[in-house]
Amino acid sequence: MIIQSIFFYIFSFIAIVSAIMVTVSRNTVHSVFFLILDFVSISCLFIMGGAEFLGMIMLIVYVGAVAVLFLFVVMMLNVAQQENAWFQSKKSKEKTSSHIPIGFLISVIIFFELIIVVGGWKFKPELSTDLNLSLSIGETNTHSIGSVLYTDYIHLFQISGMILLVSMIGAIVLTYQKREGLKRQSYFKQISRERDTSIEIVDVEKNKGVKIDA
Amino acid sequence: MTNLNFIYSELTLAFSIMLLLIIGVFKKKSSSLIYNLSILTLLIIFILSLSLFGKNSTSLFINSYKIDYLSTFMKGLLYLSGIFVMLSSTRYLILFQIFKIEYPILLLSSILGMSIMISSNDLIVFYMGLELQSLALYVLASFKRENPLSAESGLKYFVLSALSSGLLLYGCSLIYGYAGSTNFDIISSNINSVNYGLTLGIVFILVGLAFKISAVPFHMWAPDVYQGSPTSVTIFFAILPKIAALTVFIRFLYIPFINLIDQWQVIIIFLSIASMIFGAVAAIGQKNLKRLMAYSSISHMGFALAGLAVGTNEGIQSSITYMSLYVIMNLSFFSSLFMLKINQKYYETIDDLSGLSKNHPMLSLAMLVSLFSLAGIPPLAGFFAKFYIFMAVIEQEMYFLAIVGLLSTVVAAFYYLRIIKTIYFDEEKQKYDKDHNLGLKLSLILSTLIIATYFIYPSGLISIISKIIII
Repeated sequence: MIIQSIFFYIFSFIAIVSAIMVTVSRNTVHSVFFLILDFVSISCLFIMGGAEFLGMIMLIVYVGAVAVLFLFVVMMLNVAQQENAWFQSKKSKEKTSSHIPIGFLISVIIFFELIIVVGGWKFKPELSTDLNLSLSIGETNTHSIGSVLYTDYIHLFQISGMILLVSMIGAIVLTYQKREGLKRQSYFKQISRERDTSIEIVDVEKNKGVKIDA
Repeated sequence: MTNLNFIYSELTLAFSIMLLLIIGVFKKKSSSLIYNLSILTLLIIFILSLSLFGKNSTSLFINSYKIDYLSTFMKGLLYLSGIFVMLSSTRYLILFQIFKIEYPILLLSSILGMSIMISSNDLIVFYMGLELQSLALYVLASFKRENPLSAESGLKYFVLSALSSGLLLYGCSLIYGYAGSTNFDIISSNINSVNYGLTLGIVFILVGLAFKISAVPFHMWAPDVYQGSPTSVTIFFAILPKIAALTVFIRFLYIPFINLIDQWQVIIIFLSIASMIFGAVAAIGQKNLKRLMAYSSISHMGFALAGLAVGTNEGIQSSITYMSLYVIMNLSFFSSLFMLKINQKYYETIDDLSGLSKNHPMLSLAMLVSLFSLAGIPPLAGFFAKFYIFMAVIEQEMYFLAIVGLLSTVVAAFYYLRIIKTIYFDEEKQKYDKDHNLGLKLSLILSTLIIATYFIYPSGLISIISKIIII
């Protein structure tokens, strides 16, 4: 148990510190790196808590997709050098943003909300006994999620599929532009090229060179 | 899966969306084919949903998807109005250069989301349906993306709708936390006493729903989105999402939270009164007809909500009747709006209507009928719609609501009558084209005829709707 709690504190510490660093680091790219670190340590906490499927999904979705996307966007926008300051200084004429005090205030509020939530949980033990979860120990998370997701909640699964389809269609409709004069690749044309349409045998006279009509 | 025949219409819709998408990808220049096939699909699922009439109510997927008389009626109304919306806007889409294969597919997926919403008996299913329909609507609103107004309306709708979805989800989580389930029936049996957490959850969900039907004070998006989107999308916005959201309103208020009626009745009354007054007053200064219709729809939603605030079966039925007639009136008005075009250009301000009666007597007559009906002047359908609402409200002795409703009707009559005055008594300005496609003519003639002749046989609709018994 001691080892487990040591690990727990290590991961939690890293998670908290990196979450703080996301907001205070001066370089936006560094912020995204810290965000990734935060996601990773939280997914470690999930795995330690026995929710290995959730932890892995967190790794794949947030670290693998969302955070990397953030990184690309940040690097493309070239806002890496934007200065973050705690307070807007009137002396310096550099570009500074004053997001931090507001962000800090909100995080303090969220922190107190969390205390309330956890406190409420602690002083209301009947909440946890009310849960009539039928978890069997022998099954893995993935197995037990799958066994309800594809049976009892199959309609929700299918509807989410439709939602994803619609979002894909929407993204294509709103961004795809058919431009004139664009040279496109046509696999069919490329493959169906034959020797006699593409190669020409030219008799070359001596000392005169070749003139090919283009 | 023994009860699969109850969801044949949704299944057909989902499969045809995918099939049409495949046809559109592999067949060149197939926009017209896909558009017609989509109308055919809607017709087929309309017939399929009609076949469910009179069957006993069933619930599927561990009681989270309910097929009862309410859902069957609302789905029938939804599919039918979908057919007419699509029929009336063909020519507009071609001239406006948005006749792409994705357009009907997005419409169909939005309708699929709405029919899921209508049948939902569970917070999660309801939310998924809501997301499916609104995701398609965001894209539709900004479909003419070269037009800055259209792009703006899409973005505005997206941002505000995402915010309201967030509030709604928060409400769902509160209700799940305090009632222990997301299923409407289980929530209903778990609620024993008034609980402020639950009330807060109801408030948040009502905010999200009120946003979807653009009730005051969550109406800010409606005028801009109505004006900015292509008219073919505006007519869709004005009709179909309201049908779905009203059904969810009924189901959400009257199945899980009927015992907490004291808690939510005040909210609904407030939403209703605010929408009626604001919709009537704010429309006075409008010059753009689409914008004016946005305010008019806000005011009409206020009336529909007044029926829901009553808390009796009569109230619900009057609200559903109101909604059905509202759909027909809006269809008629927007169909006549589609007829105001010269060559490639569509006109949509009140000034463009000036002196319309000299050159286009039939079109003016149709507009006269639909506008009189929207204003609620007897013997047209709009009068009966308002009459049922007031009757239900007065029966429960909620006189204040009735008085405010009547007063706002008087104010609203001003701007409808002003349009009629412009049509009939102002100087004539321009001649509009007369070559309209058959679908547009059909939808205009049918809807106008229904409005004008509703008083001959009003019991037809009433006898169908009076079978909807919720409480």
